[in-house]
Amino acid sequence: MPLIYLDHAATTPIRPEVCERMMAILDGDFGNPSSAHRWGRSAAARLEEARERVAGAIGADRGEVYFVRGGTESDNMAILGHAEAVRRRGDAPFAVVSAIEHKAVMSAAAEVGERGGRWSTVPVYADGTLDLDELDTALADGASIVSVMTVNNEVGIHLPVEAVAERTRAYGAVFHTDAVQALGKVPVSIENLPVDLLSLTGHKIYGAKGTGVLFVRRGLDIAPLIFGGGQEGGLRPGTEDVAGAVGMSIAVDLAVLEQESEADRIRGLRDLLQFRLENGISGLRVHGDVPNRAPHILNVGIPDVDPEALLAGLDLEGIAASAGSACDSGVQTASHVLKALYGRLEGVAALRFSPGHTTTEADVIHAADATLRVLETIRSVEARA
Amino acid sequence: MLRHERDEPGTRDVSGQRILVAMSGGVDSSVAAALLVQQGYDVVGATMKTFCYSGGEAHPKTCCGLDGITDARRVSDMLGIPHYLFDVEEDFTRDVIDDFVAEYARGRTPNPCVRCNSNTKFQDLMQRGRRLGCDGIASGHYVRIDHSDSSTPALYRGVDTSKDQSYFLWGLPTEMLPFLHFPLGDLTKTQVREQARALGLVTADKPESQEICFVPTGDYRDLLEKRLETRHPALEPGLIVTRDAVVIGEHSGYANFTVGQRKGLGGGFSQPLYVIEIRAESREVVVGTAEEGASEGVEIGEVNWLGTPPPVDSRILVQIRYRASAVPAMLRSTGGRFLLAFDEPQRAVTPGQSAVLFEGERILGGGRIERALVDERPTEEVGRAALGAPTRQILGGTPHA
Repeated sequence: MPLIYLDHAATTPIRPEVCERMMAILDGDFGNPSSAHRWGRSAAARLEEARERVAGAIGADRGEVYFVRGGTESDNMAILGHAEAVRRRGDAPFAVVSAIEHKAVMSAAAEVGERGGRWSTVPVYADGTLDLDELDTALADGASIVSVMTVNNEVGIHLPVEAVAERTRAYGAVFHTDAVQALGKVPVSIENLPVDLLSLTGHKIYGAKGTGVLFVRRGLDIAPLIFGGGQEGGLRPGTEDVAGAVGMSIAVDLAVLEQESEADRIRGLRDLLQFRLENGISGLRVHGDVPNRAPHILNVGIPDVDPEALLAGLDLEGIAASAGSACDSGVQTASHVLKALYGRLEGVAALRFSPGHTTTEADVIHAADATLRVLETIRSVEARA
Repeated sequence: MLRHERDEPGTRDVSGQRILVAMSGGVDSSVAAALLVQQGYDVVGATMKTFCYSGGEAHPKTCCGLDGITDARRVSDMLGIPHYLFDVEEDFTRDVIDDFVAEYARGRTPNPCVRCNSNTKFQDLMQRGRRLGCDGIASGHYVRIDHSDSSTPALYRGVDTSKDQSYFLWGLPTEMLPFLHFPLGDLTKTQVREQARALGLVTADKPESQEICFVPTGDYRDLLEKRLETRHPALEPGLIVTRDAVVIGEHSGYANFTVGQRKGLGGGFSQPLYVIEIRAESREVVVGTAEEGASEGVEIGEVNWLGTPPPVDSRILVQIRYRASAVPAMLRSTGGRFLLAFDEPQRAVTPGQSAVLFEGERILGGGRIERALVDERPTEEVGRAALGAPTRQILGGTPHA
């Protein structure tokens, strides 16, 4: 039985180029970058090379790149770090986020509210548009930070972050984007986007888990969330994970380098999978089927089937897909993203496939056939019951 | 290697047969899964998420029995089998928790594990298992099943008398029996632990779970307070009376009492007193001596037979508590109801608990105890209601499995 991994939006395998460079650091360059001796100097050099590499890839200045421990940390540092900076100035923070943000942003914004500030959400519609009027209202009402993801992780909608960024800037508020699902799939460049804060993670781009980046535009004031030595400009203290930073930098570099060609290839695979499923399953609906769509996510709604059975059946066929987003216990809870976009989806199983680097045409054809087979088994049992 | 003679004759080729095994994350179901793997089955593990007792986001680790889920997954990983989580919270709440609360509200002592096995767990596993192409369902219960008569398999007590869980399985739907496997039925708990250690299972030395899964603290009053309307009579003070209507004290809610219970009645009586009846309509807890709590018979409801029902007026063995021996009785039927006439009067016949019927070691079926029959010999003529009551201690609450 071939094993086919179609859950790259959940996480990706580490690519060899990343693994080799990380191993070289883990195996040899063990020094603490803050140390004054040769071991320390060598490690510090590797760290700063990595910073330059990331900066170059996304069009930032190297002083604007902070290495952090993953996407959630990066999002939290941006939103709560901004809120704390506002509070220290004697103002009240007000976080405005899109209704389809990842939990890392949504929960951080809610925490701003918990800590005495305000927070609210801006609707995103099924056609892929964000309600710019509502955004304007929130900005006029004194929003201090707006956070809108570049690409949604569940349905792949590529949100109009340029427009959001411009409006936010016009009101003098701070703009953050979670670009975790965007890098390597759509163009991401600081030069073309008036963004103040941007979050990346390594493990969605064939890097290691626990590695990430927060871009902070020069001159922007955010407060640290944890305290210690002065590493990463005091924003993210703690002895640096040099191997992680180097791995992250290689992953970012390659993702940006290969973005255009890889996006075309993966879009082709995604569309083939969609075509075969649409042809084989009556009543199938594609979630996030909008003109502004990232290439690597296919989220389909299948009527009248138990989503747990569908996913388990696919797993038994050797196919990895997901119900939307992976959560800690594996329990399928109603997706806040699908609810925001489509309202309640009673009796509809949402299934997300996300092809990646190693996915082939044969893989998606096999996966489509297996999905139809699993569905048929489930339906035949239901029919007998 | 351990072989399950009754269940699987050694020569039978089981390869290609897919079995869904219910895994709680405890040692028993872990070993059950391991044995099925050894026997050559294509094993699929599943853990049922039945409830969420912490409710808040603040303690996600205690929510949904996540530790159990995590352990079941670790064992599955070690055994090289797939594992899935089945969310049955909605069915479980409706069929088991709501019933548990309603029974206490009526002054009875429910047995939620019987209810779960009868109405929720196995039916749900069956349904989901079929969708995954499974040919059978297995669990780590200590009972034996004999499939030699493939149309009507026979269910027997587990070999380990101290662990036997037949008391909890009388309500299984009969049509499901051909698909069930109980790999631990021929083993003792000691052997199961040894097997778990030999296999290096992470659950090998996990302590026995002692509480009902949705009452992890063992204090069900909290749950009742949450789920019953405020000032429900079951949780309001009432009188403690004798059968002669002498008031001997007050209590803080009849839901705190179980027939047979001795604790919580105060002392200073000439002889030990036990709860012998709970009168929900007047909120009275009736107490009496051990003798006063003895019943000559029991009426059962929701009767289920695991095969052909025995003829009426036949002699039968009946077990009325989890930790009790089966006692001889005569099976009677009148007006569509089943009654059992004990050879010797029995104490602590507790409405809401199960009366499980045996022929030797074989489980014939059972029912829920509706009422104890006091001062009446159940015969064909019995039809009148008897305001009777039962007795005796032992039950600090509700047994589980």
